[in-house]
Amino acid sequence: MTEAYLSPLWISLRTVLTATIITFFIGIAAARWMSRYTGRLKNVIDGLFILPLVLPPTAVGLGLLLFFGRNGPMGQFLAIFGVNIVFSWPATVISAAIMSFPLMYMAARGAMEQVDVNIENAARTLGASEWRLFWSVTMPLAWPGIAAGTVLALARSLGEFGATLMLAGNIPGKTATIPVAIYFAIQQGNTNEALILSGIVVVIAFASLFAIAYWKGRTSITRTILQEREGLD
Amino acid sequence: MLKVQAKRKLPGFDLDVDFSINQEILAILGSSGSGKTMTLQCIAGLLHPDEGHIELNGRVLFDSAAGVNLTPRMRKVGFVFQNYALFPHLTVYENIAYGIHHLSKPEISERINGLLEKMNIQRLGKRYPRQLSSGQQQRVALARALAPEPELLLLDEPFSALDTVRKERLELELMSLQQFYKGNMLFVTHDLAQGYKLSSKIAIYDSGRIIQYDSKQKVISSPANRIVARLTGVRNLFKGIIVEVKENYAQVMLPELDEKVTVELKGPLNPIQNQIVLIGIRPEYVHLSDNPVENTFKCVADRMVEGVSSAEFFFYMQGKTDSKHRIEAALSRSDGERICIGQEYYLHMHPEHFIIIRD
Repeated sequence: MTEAYLSPLWISLRTVLTATIITFFIGIAAARWMSRYTGRLKNVIDGLFILPLVLPPTAVGLGLLLFFGRNGPMGQFLAIFGVNIVFSWPATVISAAIMSFPLMYMAARGAMEQVDVNIENAARTLGASEWRLFWSVTMPLAWPGIAAGTVLALARSLGEFGATLMLAGNIPGKTATIPVAIYFAIQQGNTNEALILSGIVVVIAFASLFAIAYWKGRTSITRTILQEREGLD
Repeated sequence: MLKVQAKRKLPGFDLDVDFSINQEILAILGSSGSGKTMTLQCIAGLLHPDEGHIELNGRVLFDSAAGVNLTPRMRKVGFVFQNYALFPHLTVYENIAYGIHHLSKPEISERINGLLEKMNIQRLGKRYPRQLSSGQQQRVALARALAPEPELLLLDEPFSALDTVRKERLELELMSLQQFYKGNMLFVTHDLAQGYKLSSKIAIYDSGRIIQYDSKQKVISSPANRIVARLTGVRNLFKGIIVEVKENYAQVMLPELDEKVTVELKGPLNPIQNQIVLIGIRPEYVHLSDNPVENTFKCVADRMVEGVSSAEFFFYMQGKTDSKHRIEAALSRSDGERICIGQEYYLHMHPEHFIIIRD
Protein backbone atom coordinates (compact mmCIF):
# COMPACT_ATOMS: atom_id res chain seq x y z
CA MET A 1 0.00 0.00 0.00
CA THR A 2 2.72 2.47 0.96
CA GLU A 3 4.42 1.57 -2.31
CA ALA A 4 1.65 3.50 -4.10
CA TYR A 5 2.72 6.69 -2.32
CA LEU A 6 6.43 6.20 -1.84
CA SER A 7 7.21 5.38 -5.43
CA PRO A 8 5.70 8.59 -6.96
CA LEU A 9 7.22 10.60 -4.10
CA TRP A 10 10.66 9.19 -4.72
CA ILE A 11 10.38 9.69 -8.49
CA SER A 12 9.13 13.24 -8.05
CA LEU A 13 11.91 14.18 -5.63
CA ARG A 14 14.61 12.80 -7.87
CA THR A 15 13.10 14.45 -10.93
CA VAL A 16 12.62 17.84 -9.31
CA LEU A 17 16.10 17.90 -7.85
CA THR A 18 17.82 16.85 -11.06
CA ALA A 19 15.72 19.14 -13.23
CA THR A 20 16.31 22.14 -10.94
CA ILE A 21 20.07 21.62 -10.93
CA ILE A 22 20.05 21.41 -14.73
CA THR A 23 17.86 24.50 -15.20
CA PHE A 24 19.89 26.41 -12.62
CA PHE A 25 23.11 26.14 -14.62
CA ILE A 26 21.62 26.22 -18.12
CA GLY A 27 19.30 29.10 -17.19
CA ILE A 28 22.19 31.17 -15.80
CA ALA A 29 24.42 30.36 -18.76
CA ALA A 30 21.65 31.28 -21.22
CA ALA A 31 20.86 34.48 -19.30
CA ARG A 32 24.48 35.58 -19.28
CA TRP A 33 24.90 34.80 -22.94
CA MET A 34 21.70 36.64 -23.91
CA SER A 35 22.47 39.71 -21.82
CA ARG A 36 25.60 40.19 -23.90
CA TYR A 37 24.39 38.93 -27.28
CA THR A 38 23.61 41.84 -29.55
CA GLY A 39 22.91 40.05 -32.83
CA ARG A 40 19.82 40.46 -34.96
CA LEU A 41 18.25 37.25 -33.69
CA LYS A 42 18.13 38.50 -30.11
CA ASN A 43 14.36 38.77 -29.95
CA VAL A 44 13.81 35.49 -31.78
CA ILE A 45 16.10 33.57 -29.42
CA ASP A 46 14.62 35.29 -26.40
CA GLY A 47 11.15 34.26 -27.61
CA LEU A 48 12.27 30.66 -28.11
CA PHE A 49 13.65 30.52 -24.57
CA ILE A 50 10.38 31.73 -23.11
CA LEU A 51 8.16 29.65 -25.39
CA PRO A 52 7.65 26.70 -22.96
CA LEU A 53 6.06 29.13 -20.53
CA VAL A 54 3.52 30.35 -23.05
CA LEU A 55 2.62 27.12 -24.86
CA PRO A 56 0.25 24.52 -23.41
CA PRO A 57 2.46 21.90 -21.69
CA THR A 58 0.92 19.17 -23.79
CA ALA A 59 2.02 21.00 -26.96
CA VAL A 60 5.58 21.22 -25.61
CA GLY A 61 5.33 17.53 -24.70
CA LEU A 62 4.23 16.71 -28.22
CA GLY A 63 7.18 18.65 -29.58
CA LEU A 64 9.54 16.76 -27.29
CA LEU A 65 7.96 13.48 -28.29
CA LEU A 66 8.56 14.25 -31.96
CA PHE A 67 12.13 15.38 -31.21
CA PHE A 68 13.12 12.44 -29.02
CA GLY A 69 10.84 9.87 -30.70
CA ARG A 70 12.07 6.93 -32.76
CA ASN A 71 11.86 8.97 -35.98
CA GLY A 72 12.88 12.29 -34.43
CA PRO A 73 16.35 13.77 -34.99
CA MET A 74 17.46 13.38 -31.38
CA GLY A 75 15.79 10.00 -31.03
CA GLN A 76 17.67 8.65 -34.06
CA PHE A 77 20.93 10.14 -32.84
CA LEU A 78 20.58 8.63 -29.36
CA ALA A 79 19.53 5.28 -30.86
CA ILE A 80 23.10 4.95 -32.17
CA PHE A 81 24.25 4.68 -28.55
CA GLY A 82 21.31 2.45 -27.67
CA VAL A 83 19.64 5.15 -25.61
CA ASN A 84 15.91 5.66 -25.65
CA ILE A 85 14.46 8.67 -23.89
CA VAL A 86 10.74 8.30 -24.49
CA PHE A 87 8.84 6.68 -21.60
CA SER A 88 11.98 6.50 -19.44
CA TRP A 89 12.86 8.28 -16.18
CA PRO A 90 15.18 10.84 -17.87
CA ALA A 91 12.11 11.92 -19.86
CA THR A 92 10.52 13.23 -16.66
CA VAL A 93 13.67 15.26 -15.97
CA ILE A 94 13.81 16.63 -19.51
CA SER A 95 10.14 17.65 -19.41
CA ALA A 96 10.45 19.31 -16.00
CA ALA A 97 13.70 21.05 -16.94
CA ILE A 98 12.33 22.40 -20.20
CA MET A 99 9.08 23.58 -18.62
CA SER A 100 10.85 25.35 -15.75
CA PHE A 101 13.69 26.76 -17.84
CA PRO A 102 11.91 30.03 -18.86
CA LEU A 103 11.33 30.99 -15.22
CA MET A 104 14.96 30.47 -14.29
CA TYR A 105 16.16 32.17 -17.45
CA MET A 106 13.96 35.25 -17.04
CA ALA A 107 14.76 35.72 -13.37
CA ALA A 108 18.50 35.26 -13.88
CA ARG A 109 18.60 37.56 -16.88
CA GLY A 110 16.66 40.28 -15.09
CA ALA A 111 18.92 39.98 -12.06
CA MET A 112 22.12 40.12 -14.10
CA GLU A 113 21.02 43.06 -16.16
CA GLN A 114 20.29 44.92 -12.93
CA VAL A 115 23.95 44.70 -11.94
CA ASP A 116 25.62 48.08 -12.49
CA VAL A 117 27.79 47.91 -15.60
CA ASN A 118 30.27 50.25 -13.94
CA ILE A 119 30.79 47.79 -11.10
CA GLU A 120 31.57 45.06 -13.62
CA ASN A 121 33.80 47.44 -15.54
CA ALA A 122 35.60 48.35 -12.33
CA ALA A 123 36.43 44.67 -11.85
CA ARG A 124 37.73 44.53 -15.42
CA THR A 125 40.03 47.52 -14.98
CA LEU A 126 41.29 45.89 -11.76
CA GLY A 127 42.51 42.98 -13.80
CA ALA A 128 39.68 40.46 -13.38
CA SER A 129 39.15 37.88 -16.10
CA GLU A 130 35.56 37.51 -17.34
CA TRP A 131 35.37 34.22 -15.41
CA ARG A 132 36.49 35.77 -12.12
CA LEU A 133 34.28 38.79 -12.73
CA PHE A 134 31.27 36.53 -13.19
CA TRP A 135 31.82 34.46 -10.04
CA SER A 136 33.11 37.20 -7.76
CA VAL A 137 30.93 40.13 -8.77
CA THR A 138 28.03 39.41 -11.12
CA MET A 139 26.77 36.25 -9.38
CA PRO A 140 26.86 37.60 -5.81
CA LEU A 141 25.11 40.79 -6.87
CA ALA A 142 22.50 38.99 -8.96
CA TRP A 143 22.04 36.36 -6.27
CA PRO A 144 18.67 37.42 -4.80
CA GLY A 145 17.08 37.34 -8.26
CA ILE A 146 18.73 34.06 -9.15
CA ALA A 147 17.58 32.49 -5.90
CA ALA A 148 14.03 33.63 -6.59
CA GLY A 149 14.27 32.10 -10.06
CA THR A 150 15.47 28.84 -8.56
CA VAL A 151 12.45 28.70 -6.26
CA LEU A 152 10.10 29.32 -9.16
CA ALA A 153 11.84 26.71 -11.30
CA LEU A 154 11.66 24.16 -8.50
CA ALA A 155 7.97 24.84 -7.95
CA ARG A 156 7.28 24.55 -11.66
CA SER A 157 9.15 21.23 -11.86
CA LEU A 158 7.22 19.82 -8.94
CA GLY A 159 3.90 20.62 -10.57
CA GLU A 160 4.86 19.55 -14.08
CA PHE A 161 2.21 17.30 -15.62
CA GLY A 162 1.33 17.85 -19.28
CA ALA A 163 4.71 17.53 -20.95
CA THR A 164 5.75 14.74 -18.58
CA LEU A 165 2.69 12.73 -19.45
CA MET A 166 3.36 13.13 -23.19
CA LEU A 167 7.06 12.29 -23.10
CA ALA A 168 7.40 10.01 -20.07
CA GLY A 169 3.95 8.52 -19.83
CA ASN A 170 2.63 6.87 -16.69
CA ILE A 171 4.75 3.88 -15.86
CA PRO A 172 4.33 3.14 -12.14
CA GLY A 173 7.65 2.92 -10.37
CA LYS A 174 9.49 4.43 -13.32
CA THR A 175 7.98 7.61 -14.74
CA ALA A 176 4.84 8.19 -12.64
CA THR A 177 5.59 11.42 -10.78
CA ILE A 178 3.16 12.65 -8.11
CA PRO A 179 1.09 14.89 -10.45
CA VAL A 180 0.76 12.07 -12.97
CA ALA A 181 -0.05 9.54 -10.23
CA ILE A 182 -2.78 11.83 -8.84
CA TYR A 183 -4.44 12.07 -12.23
CA PHE A 184 -4.44 8.32 -12.77
CA ALA A 185 -5.60 7.62 -9.22
CA ILE A 186 -8.65 9.79 -9.84
CA GLN A 187 -9.28 8.13 -13.19
CA GLN A 188 -9.30 4.76 -11.48
CA GLY A 189 -11.59 6.07 -8.73
CA ASN A 190 -8.94 5.98 -5.97
CA THR A 191 -9.95 9.30 -4.43
CA ASN A 192 -8.13 8.59 -1.17
CA GLU A 193 -4.87 7.82 -2.90
CA ALA A 194 -5.17 11.04 -4.90
CA LEU A 195 -5.88 13.03 -1.74
CA ILE A 196 -2.90 11.59 0.12
CA LEU A 197 -0.60 12.21 -2.83
CA SER A 198 -1.87 15.80 -2.98
CA GLY A 199 -1.18 16.17 0.72
CA ILE A 200 2.38 14.94 0.18
CA VAL A 201 2.89 17.56 -2.55
CA VAL A 202 1.70 20.28 -0.22
CA VAL A 203 4.19 19.15 2.43
CA ILE A 204 7.09 18.95 -0.04
CA ALA A 205 6.22 22.34 -1.51
CA PHE A 206 6.20 23.99 1.90
CA ALA A 207 9.32 22.22 3.04
CA SER A 208 11.32 23.18 -0.01
CA LEU A 209 10.12 26.78 0.06
CA PHE A 210 11.15 27.06 3.71
CA ALA A 211 14.46 25.38 3.02
CA ILE A 212 15.21 27.80 0.22
CA ALA A 213 14.13 30.82 2.21
CA TYR A 214 16.46 29.66 4.98
CA TRP A 215 19.31 29.04 2.56
CA LYS A 216 18.80 32.42 0.89
CA GLY A 217 18.59 34.07 4.29
CA ARG A 218 21.87 32.54 5.39
CA THR A 219 23.58 33.94 2.36
CA SER A 220 22.07 37.40 2.28
CA ILE A 221 19.91 38.43 5.21
CA THR A 222 22.09 37.27 8.08
CA ARG A 223 25.11 38.65 6.34
CA THR A 224 23.40 42.01 6.18
CA ILE A 225 22.60 41.90 9.87
CA LEU A 226 26.17 40.96 10.74
CA GLN A 227 27.42 43.81 8.61
CA GLU A 228 25.15 46.34 10.23
CA ARG A 229 26.30 45.19 13.66
CA GLU A 230 29.94 45.50 12.70
CA GLY A 231 29.27 48.92 11.36
CA LEU A 232 27.95 50.12 14.69
CA ASP A 233 31.08 49.64 16.75
CA MET B 1 53.75 58.90 -21.74
CA LEU B 2 50.22 58.44 -22.96
CA LYS B 3 49.32 58.87 -26.61
CA VAL B 4 45.69 58.82 -27.61
CA GLN B 5 44.26 58.99 -31.06
CA ALA B 6 40.72 57.76 -31.32
CA LYS B 7 37.75 58.00 -33.64
CA ARG B 8 34.33 56.62 -32.93
CA LYS B 9 31.07 57.12 -34.80
CA LEU B 10 28.09 57.97 -32.65
CA PRO B 11 24.46 58.81 -33.37
CA GLY B 12 24.72 62.46 -32.36
CA PHE B 13 28.32 63.30 -33.15
CA ASP B 14 31.64 61.67 -33.91
CA LEU B 15 34.36 61.36 -31.33
CA ASP B 16 37.66 62.33 -32.90
CA VAL B 17 40.46 63.16 -30.50
CA ASP B 18 44.24 63.20 -30.61
CA PHE B 19 46.46 64.17 -27.68
CA SER B 20 49.35 63.00 -25.58
CA ILE B 21 50.56 63.63 -22.05
CA ASN B 22 53.88 62.93 -20.39
CA GLN B 23 53.83 62.25 -16.64
CA GLU B 24 51.39 65.04 -16.03
CA ILE B 25 47.81 65.71 -15.12
CA LEU B 26 45.32 66.48 -17.82
CA ALA B 27 41.85 67.79 -17.18
CA ILE B 28 39.26 67.16 -19.86
CA LEU B 29 36.70 69.90 -19.68
CA GLY B 30 33.48 70.14 -21.63
CA SER B 31 29.73 70.19 -21.41
CA SER B 32 27.94 66.92 -20.75
CA GLY B 33 27.61 64.65 -23.74
CA SER B 34 30.73 65.94 -25.46
CA GLY B 35 32.54 62.60 -25.34
CA LYS B 36 34.67 63.11 -22.24
CA THR B 37 33.75 59.93 -20.42
CA MET B 38 33.86 57.99 -23.65
CA THR B 39 37.48 59.02 -24.11
CA LEU B 40 38.33 57.57 -20.71
CA GLN B 41 36.44 54.37 -21.56
CA CYS B 42 38.38 54.03 -24.81
CA ILE B 43 41.68 54.39 -22.96
CA ALA B 44 40.66 51.86 -20.30
CA GLY B 45 39.47 49.41 -22.95
CA LEU B 46 35.83 49.45 -21.88
CA LEU B 47 34.88 50.80 -25.30
CA HIS B 48 36.60 50.36 -28.62
CA PRO B 49 37.30 53.24 -30.93
CA ASP B 50 36.38 52.51 -34.55
CA GLU B 51 39.80 53.70 -35.52
CA GLY B 52 42.89 54.90 -33.73
CA HIS B 53 46.02 54.21 -31.73
CA ILE B 54 46.43 54.28 -27.97
CA GLU B 55 49.84 53.87 -26.41
CA LEU B 56 50.92 53.95 -22.78
CA ASN B 57 54.61 54.12 -21.81
CA GLY B 58 55.60 52.47 -25.07
CA ARG B 59 53.00 49.67 -24.83
CA VAL B 60 50.40 49.68 -27.58
CA LEU B 61 46.99 49.28 -25.93
CA PHE B 62 44.94 49.69 -29.06
CA ASP B 63 45.72 49.96 -32.71
CA SER B 64 43.02 49.51 -35.29
CA ALA B 65 45.46 49.18 -38.19
CA ALA B 66 47.60 46.53 -36.49
CA GLY B 67 44.57 44.81 -34.96
CA VAL B 68 45.83 45.33 -31.40
CA ASN B 69 43.18 45.60 -28.71
CA LEU B 70 44.26 44.73 -25.19
CA THR B 71 41.50 43.77 -22.77
CA PRO B 72 40.94 46.16 -19.86
CA ARG B 73 42.73 43.79 -17.50
CA MET B 74 45.91 43.86 -19.57
CA ARG B 75 46.10 47.64 -19.76
CA LYS B 76 47.32 48.61 -16.27
CA VAL B 77 44.99 51.57 -16.23
CA GLY B 78 43.23 52.57 -13.01
CA PHE B 79 39.70 53.89 -13.33
CA VAL B 80 37.74 55.81 -10.71
CA PHE B 81 34.09 55.81 -11.73
CA GLN B 82 31.74 58.70 -11.26
CA ASN B 83 29.47 56.71 -8.95
CA TYR B 84 32.57 55.03 -7.40
CA ALA B 85 31.30 51.58 -8.45
CA LEU B 86 32.52 49.91 -5.28
CA PHE B 87 31.67 46.24 -4.86
CA PRO B 88 28.72 46.43 -2.46
CA HIS B 89 29.11 42.83 -1.25
CA LEU B 90 32.77 43.22 -0.29
CA THR B 91 34.33 45.09 2.61
CA VAL B 92 36.56 48.09 2.09
CA TYR B 93 39.59 45.84 2.59
CA GLU B 94 38.29 43.27 0.09
CA ASN B 95 37.42 46.01 -2.37
CA ILE B 96 40.96 47.33 -2.36
CA ALA B 97 42.41 43.81 -2.43
CA TYR B 98 40.39 42.88 -5.52
CA GLY B 99 42.99 44.11 -7.99
CA ILE B 100 46.01 42.62 -6.21
CA HIS B 101 44.81 39.12 -5.30
CA HIS B 102 47.78 37.62 -7.14
CA LEU B 103 50.16 38.97 -4.47
CA SER B 104 51.02 37.10 -1.30
CA LYS B 105 48.92 37.72 1.81
CA PRO B 106 51.54 39.82 3.67
CA GLU B 107 52.17 41.92 0.55
CA ILE B 108 48.45 42.51 0.10
CA SER B 109 47.90 43.62 3.66
CA GLU B 110 51.01 45.79 3.62
CA ARG B 111 49.91 47.58 0.48
CA ILE B 112 46.33 48.00 1.62
CA ASN B 113 47.32 49.34 5.00
CA GLY B 114 49.61 51.82 3.30
CA LEU B 115 46.78 52.99 1.05
CA LEU B 116 44.26 53.16 3.88
CA GLU B 117 46.69 55.34 5.75
CA LYS B 118 47.38 57.63 2.79
CA MET B 119 43.66 58.00 2.22
CA ASN B 120 43.10 58.58 5.90
CA ILE B 121 40.57 55.75 6.22
CA GLN B 122 42.56 53.31 8.38
CA ARG B 123 39.58 52.40 10.54
CA LEU B 124 37.17 51.58 7.75
CA GLY B 125 38.72 48.35 6.46
CA LYS B 126 35.97 46.08 7.79
CA ARG B 127 33.04 48.22 6.70
CA TYR B 128 30.86 47.71 3.67
CA PRO B 129 30.49 50.47 1.09
CA ARG B 130 26.92 51.33 2.06
CA GLN B 131 28.09 52.09 5.60
CA LEU B 132 30.39 54.84 4.31
CA SER B 133 29.75 58.47 3.54
CA SER B 134 30.21 59.47 -0.08
CA GLY B 135 33.53 61.12 0.75
CA GLN B 136 34.80 57.89 2.29
CA GLN B 137 33.50 55.91 -0.68
CA GLN B 138 35.44 58.19 -2.98
CA ARG B 139 38.62 57.55 -0.99
CA VAL B 140 38.07 53.80 -1.14
CA ALA B 141 37.49 54.00 -4.90
CA LEU B 142 40.74 55.90 -5.26
CA ALA B 143 42.64 53.46 -3.06
CA ARG B 144 41.19 50.51 -4.98
CA ALA B 145 42.25 52.00 -8.31
CA LEU B 146 45.76 52.75 -7.02
CA ALA B 147 46.36 49.36 -5.37
CA PRO B 148 47.54 47.53 -8.52
CA GLU B 149 49.93 50.46 -9.16
CA PRO B 150 48.52 51.43 -12.55
CA GLU B 151 50.61 53.31 -15.07
CA LEU B 152 47.75 55.68 -15.70
CA LEU B 153 44.92 56.84 -13.48
CA LEU B 154 41.62 57.90 -14.99
CA LEU B 155 39.04 59.76 -12.93
CA ASP B 156 35.53 60.36 -14.20
CA GLU B 157 34.03 63.48 -12.62
CA PRO B 158 35.83 63.03 -9.32
CA PHE B 159 34.07 64.42 -6.27
CA SER B 160 31.06 65.59 -8.27
CA ALA B 161 28.70 64.00 -5.75
CA LEU B 162 30.31 65.62 -2.70
CA ASP B 163 29.47 68.76 -0.81
CA THR B 164 31.80 71.75 -1.07
CA VAL B 165 33.76 71.17 2.12
CA ARG B 166 34.44 67.50 1.43
CA LYS B 167 35.16 68.25 -2.19
CA GLU B 168 37.80 70.84 -1.37
CA ARG B 169 39.41 68.59 1.20
CA LEU B 170 39.59 65.70 -1.26
CA GLU B 171 40.93 67.95 -3.96
CA LEU B 172 43.75 68.92 -1.65
CA GLU B 173 44.41 65.26 -0.93
CA LEU B 174 44.41 64.41 -4.60
CA MET B 175 46.99 67.12 -5.13
CA SER B 176 49.22 65.64 -2.45
CA LEU B 177 48.65 62.24 -4.02
CA GLN B 178 50.58 63.39 -7.05
CA GLN B 179 53.68 63.26 -4.93
CA PHE B 180 53.53 59.53 -4.44
CA TYR B 181 51.68 58.61 -7.57
CA LYS B 182 54.17 59.22 -10.32
CA GLY B 183 52.12 58.07 -13.27
CA ASN B 184 49.95 59.97 -15.67
CA MET B 185 46.61 61.21 -14.47
CA LEU B 186 43.65 62.15 -16.60
CA PHE B 187 40.37 63.36 -15.28
CA VAL B 188 37.07 64.50 -16.67
CA THR B 189 35.19 67.41 -15.21
CA HIS B 190 32.72 70.08 -16.08
CA ASP B 191 33.97 72.25 -13.25
CA LEU B 192 36.51 74.75 -14.53
CA ALA B 193 37.74 75.72 -11.08
CA GLN B 194 38.43 72.09 -10.25
CA GLY B 195 40.10 71.43 -13.58
CA TYR B 196 42.33 74.43 -13.09
CA LYS B 197 43.22 73.56 -9.52
CA LEU B 198 44.18 69.94 -10.10
CA SER B 199 45.70 69.81 -13.56
CA SER B 200 48.69 71.12 -15.43
CA LYS B 201 47.07 70.87 -18.85
CA ILE B 202 43.50 71.29 -19.98
CA ALA B 203 41.77 69.85 -23.03
CA ILE B 204 38.49 71.50 -23.95
CA TYR B 205 35.94 69.21 -25.58
CA ASP B 206 33.09 70.18 -27.80
CA SER B 207 30.91 67.60 -29.61
CA GLY B 208 33.60 64.94 -29.55
CA ARG B 209 36.47 67.15 -30.62
CA ILE B 210 39.26 68.88 -28.75
CA ILE B 211 38.89 72.55 -29.52
CA GLN B 212 41.79 73.63 -27.37
CA TYR B 213 44.62 71.72 -25.74
CA ASP B 214 47.09 73.80 -23.80
CA SER B 215 48.61 74.48 -20.43
CA LYS B 216 45.91 75.58 -18.02
CA GLN B 217 47.23 79.14 -17.87
CA LYS B 218 47.11 79.40 -21.65
CA VAL B 219 43.55 78.12 -21.85
CA ILE B 220 42.43 80.79 -19.44
CA SER B 221 44.49 83.67 -20.84
CA SER B 222 43.92 83.01 -24.50
CA PRO B 223 40.88 80.91 -25.32
CA ALA B 224 41.03 79.59 -28.86
CA ASN B 225 37.48 80.42 -29.78
CA ARG B 226 34.06 81.49 -28.62
CA ILE B 227 33.13 78.09 -27.15
CA VAL B 228 36.29 77.86 -25.06
CA ALA B 229 35.78 81.43 -23.90
CA ARG B 230 32.22 80.65 -22.81
CA LEU B 231 33.24 77.38 -21.10
CA THR B 232 36.04 79.08 -19.21
CA GLY B 233 33.84 81.84 -17.85
CA VAL B 234 34.36 84.70 -20.27
CA ARG B 235 30.76 85.85 -20.15
CA ASN B 236 31.12 89.19 -21.89
CA LEU B 237 31.89 88.80 -25.58
CA PHE B 238 31.65 91.56 -28.17
CA LYS B 239 32.26 91.66 -31.85
CA GLY B 240 35.00 94.14 -32.69
CA ILE B 241 36.98 95.65 -35.56
CA ILE B 242 40.63 96.55 -35.07
CA VAL B 243 40.95 100.23 -35.86
CA GLU B 244 44.53 100.84 -34.96
CA VAL B 245 47.47 98.87 -33.61
CA LYS B 246 50.10 100.79 -31.67
CA GLU B 247 52.89 98.89 -29.95
CA ASN B 248 51.22 96.60 -27.43
CA TYR B 249 47.82 98.18 -27.63
CA ALA B 250 45.01 98.05 -30.12
CA GLN B 251 42.04 100.30 -30.58
CA VAL B 252 38.98 98.16 -31.16
CA MET B 253 35.69 99.47 -32.45
CA LEU B 254 32.64 97.66 -31.08
CA PRO B 255 30.00 98.29 -33.74
CA GLU B 256 27.13 96.85 -31.73
CA LEU B 257 27.78 99.28 -28.90
CA ASP B 258 29.12 102.10 -31.04
CA GLU B 259 32.07 102.43 -28.65
CA LYS B 260 35.80 102.18 -28.90
CA VAL B 261 38.00 100.36 -26.40
CA THR B 262 41.71 100.04 -25.86
CA VAL B 263 42.95 96.49 -25.54
CA GLU B 264 46.37 95.33 -24.45
CA LEU B 265 47.90 92.80 -26.84
CA LYS B 266 49.46 89.70 -25.39
CA GLY B 267 49.63 86.16 -26.57
CA PRO B 268 50.16 84.84 -30.02
CA LEU B 269 47.49 86.72 -31.89
CA ASN B 270 48.86 89.66 -33.86
CA PRO B 271 45.82 91.51 -35.08
CA ILE B 272 46.04 93.76 -38.07
CA GLN B 273 43.99 96.77 -38.95
CA ASN B 274 40.40 96.15 -40.05
CA GLN B 275 40.50 92.57 -38.80
CA ILE B 276 37.25 91.38 -37.28
CA VAL B 277 37.75 89.80 -33.86
CA LEU B 278 35.88 88.87 -30.74
CA ILE B 279 36.89 90.59 -27.58
CA GLY B 280 35.91 89.25 -24.23
CA ILE B 281 36.24 90.07 -20.58
CA ARG B 282 35.43 88.07 -17.47
CA PRO B 283 32.78 89.48 -15.13
CA GLU B 284 35.31 89.74 -12.31
CA TYR B 285 37.32 92.29 -14.31
CA VAL B 286 34.41 94.66 -14.87
CA HIS B 287 34.51 97.39 -12.21
CA LEU B 288 32.51 100.39 -11.19
CA SER B 289 33.97 103.76 -12.04
CA ASP B 290 32.98 107.17 -10.74
CA ASN B 291 33.69 109.08 -13.90
CA PRO B 292 33.89 108.33 -17.61
CA VAL B 293 37.57 107.63 -18.23
CA GLU B 294 39.00 105.50 -21.04
CA ASN B 295 37.35 102.10 -21.57
CA THR B 296 34.29 103.12 -19.62
CA PHE B 297 30.72 102.33 -20.62
CA LYS B 298 27.59 103.91 -19.35
CA CYS B 299 25.19 101.11 -18.39
CA VAL B 300 21.92 100.58 -16.61
CA ALA B 301 21.81 98.14 -13.72
CA ASP B 302 19.25 95.54 -14.60
CA ARG B 303 19.36 92.54 -12.30
CA MET B 304 21.39 91.19 -9.43
CA VAL B 305 22.26 87.62 -8.42
CA GLU B 306 23.80 87.55 -5.01
CA GLY B 307 26.71 85.19 -4.42
CA VAL B 308 28.65 84.35 -1.29
CA SER B 309 31.61 86.69 -1.57
CA SER B 310 30.53 88.79 -4.52
CA ALA B 311 27.41 89.61 -6.45
CA GLU B 312 26.76 89.14 -10.15
CA PHE B 313 25.18 92.16 -11.73
CA PHE B 314 23.61 92.23 -15.10
CA PHE B 315 23.83 95.62 -16.75
CA TYR B 316 22.57 96.56 -20.12
CA MET B 317 23.86 99.05 -22.50
CA GLN B 318 21.77 100.88 -25.06
CA GLY B 319 23.15 100.01 -28.48
CA LYS B 320 23.11 102.07 -31.65
CA THR B 321 19.75 100.76 -32.73
CA ASP B 322 17.10 99.66 -30.28
CA SER B 323 19.10 96.63 -29.25
CA LYS B 324 20.22 96.21 -25.68
CA HIS B 325 23.54 94.59 -24.84
CA ARG B 326 24.08 92.77 -21.65
CA ILE B 327 27.25 93.16 -19.63
CA GLU B 328 27.93 90.93 -16.64
CA ALA B 329 29.98 92.21 -13.74
CA ALA B 330 31.00 90.40 -10.56
CA LEU B 331 31.25 93.19 -8.02
CA SER B 332 32.60 93.06 -4.50
CA ARG B 333 30.07 93.36 -1.70
CA SER B 334 30.97 96.95 -0.93
CA ASP B 335 30.62 98.01 -4.56
CA GLY B 336 27.49 95.96 -4.94
CA GLU B 337 25.79 97.76 -2.10
CA ARG B 338 26.03 101.03 -3.99
CA ILE B 339 24.04 99.71 -6.93
CA CYS B 340 20.38 100.54 -7.33
CA ILE B 341 18.53 98.60 -9.99
CA GLY B 342 17.42 100.88 -12.83
CA GLN B 343 20.14 103.51 -12.26
CA GLU B 344 22.96 104.36 -14.65
CA TYR B 345 26.58 103.61 -13.78
CA TYR B 346 29.99 103.74 -15.42
CA LEU B 347 31.63 100.38 -15.92
CA HIS B 348 35.35 100.31 -16.40
CA MET B 349 37.34 97.56 -18.09
CA HIS B 350 41.11 97.67 -17.90
CA PRO B 351 42.95 97.17 -21.25
CA GLU B 352 45.08 94.32 -19.87
CA HIS B 353 42.08 92.26 -18.91
CA PHE B 354 40.63 91.91 -22.39
CA ILE B 355 40.95 88.69 -24.31
CA ILE B 356 41.12 88.81 -28.08
CA ILE B 357 39.78 85.87 -30.04
CA ARG B 358 40.00 85.44 -33.74
CA ASP B 359 36.52 84.33 -34.70
